[in-house]
Amino acid sequence: MERYEADIRERIKMALVQAGTCFSCDKKAAYQQAVEAESNQQARWVLETILENAEIAEKTSFPLCDDTGIPHVLVEIGKERSVSGKVLEAIHLGIADGLGALPGRPMALTGDDIQRLEQSGGLAEDPAALVPAPVLLKMTEGSQLRIHVLLLGGGPAIRAKTYRLFHKHDIAVVKEEIIDWAIEAASQLGCTPCTLAIGIGRSHYEAAAYMLEAQAYGSYDQQSELEREITSRVNNSKVGALGLHGDTTVLGTFLKVGPQRASGVRIVSLRPCCCFEPRKATVML
Amino acid sequence: MDIVTPIEIECARSLRVGDQITLSGYIYTGRDAVLPRLVRMIKDKELDHRIIKLAGSVIFHTAVSQAGVGPTSSNKPEIEESLAVLSKAGVRLHLGKGKISDKTVKALQQYDSVYAVIPPVTALLQSRILSKQVIAFPEEGMEAIHLLKVSRFPAIIAAGQGVSIY
Repeated sequence: MERYEADIRERIKMALVQAGTCFSCDKKAAYQQAVEAESNQQARWVLETILENAEIAEKTSFPLCDDTGIPHVLVEIGKERSVSGKVLEAIHLGIADGLGALPGRPMALTGDDIQRLEQSGGLAEDPAALVPAPVLLKMTEGSQLRIHVLLLGGGPAIRAKTYRLFHKHDIAVVKEEIIDWAIEAASQLGCTPCTLAIGIGRSHYEAAAYMLEAQAYGSYDQQSELEREITSRVNNSKVGALGLHGDTTVLGTFLKVGPQRASGVRIVSLRPCCCFEPRKATVML
Repeated sequence: MDIVTPIEIECARSLRVGDQITLSGYIYTGRDAVLPRLVRMIKDKELDHRIIKLAGSVIFHTAVSQAGVGPTSSNKPEIEESLAVLSKAGVRLHLGKGKISDKTVKALQQYDSVYAVIPPVTALLQSRILSKQVIAFPEEGMEAIHLLKVSRFPAIIAAGQGVSIY
């Protein structure tokens, strides 16, 4: 392996470990604000415990959550850059190295299609056997190569939804339906407070891709008016931390709106990211 | 309040929804794959009580792997449907996350058992696990029944005495 690819492999490994063990600065600040604003004693205790867990995870480099998630990779390629198959191979190898180092939960299923579907073929003992989701590529301006590594857990996947809605030429209709979905999802999640990652596109694939981008780019300290309103409205549901009621059901909303179709339909992908998600880190080359 | 296993019936009866507790001592783990098998063993009178001592026990709904432990949703059918039988068999506290049904809440009351939720704080919990060993169903890997010795696992009573926090 060339030095360039070896460097990418090592940095992807480190990024995966960082994603699985560290809270970002804006997430820590969002939790601290939530603790200060929380009026429910039990919910405040949960929020404080989540923050304590984050401190220990970062200090000991141990997973924030035992469901270490399925690795997802978003690659931004500047127009002036080229990415070879060897670079993509280095990314995959770095993911495997990172799962070994984290350590990831050994949850790759073995066997043929039917065995994997019914979980009857056994589990691979090696955490690195967990292959990442198909890599998402995105063209950007400039000459930089950015690789975002995200870890997506199973709980939010159970409650996430990608479906169509009819906008009726009114943003209020879109907003109300998203809020209804989000309240239902958050109330079933268990690991609240959640972060709502929402992608809106022209197809299910596109909406899910934008939902992943929303996680990669979203920030708790840069919220649009629409994002703030969705957060506030879902918090009014009082589901609260760990479902114990209180003021913090949602920590923030990350919304990415893509190009839309000349039609009455919008495809929305909503993922109620758990209390640790988005678990993400970025490599810039 | 720190509760040390095994848990006496009087202790379980004294716990109220909303109580913040810590758990210390030996606790079992079990989730989707093994709890239905454990229930079948109880019903078929095949449980070896020298190996799994359910009287006064705690069952934590979690996998156990090198990535640590953390609660899975207790309202998954294969888990929640086990709670009544296990409580009748002596389990005094079920540890997990998520809302459970009114039917299950009543069954817990009938058999002097409670349900507590634990934050999914894997790194913190890892620092409070003193030992672990596989007790049953080793072929299930991380979902096998493990016996953990723990110190001060944090939890909140979410259902007990016929009342639910949800």
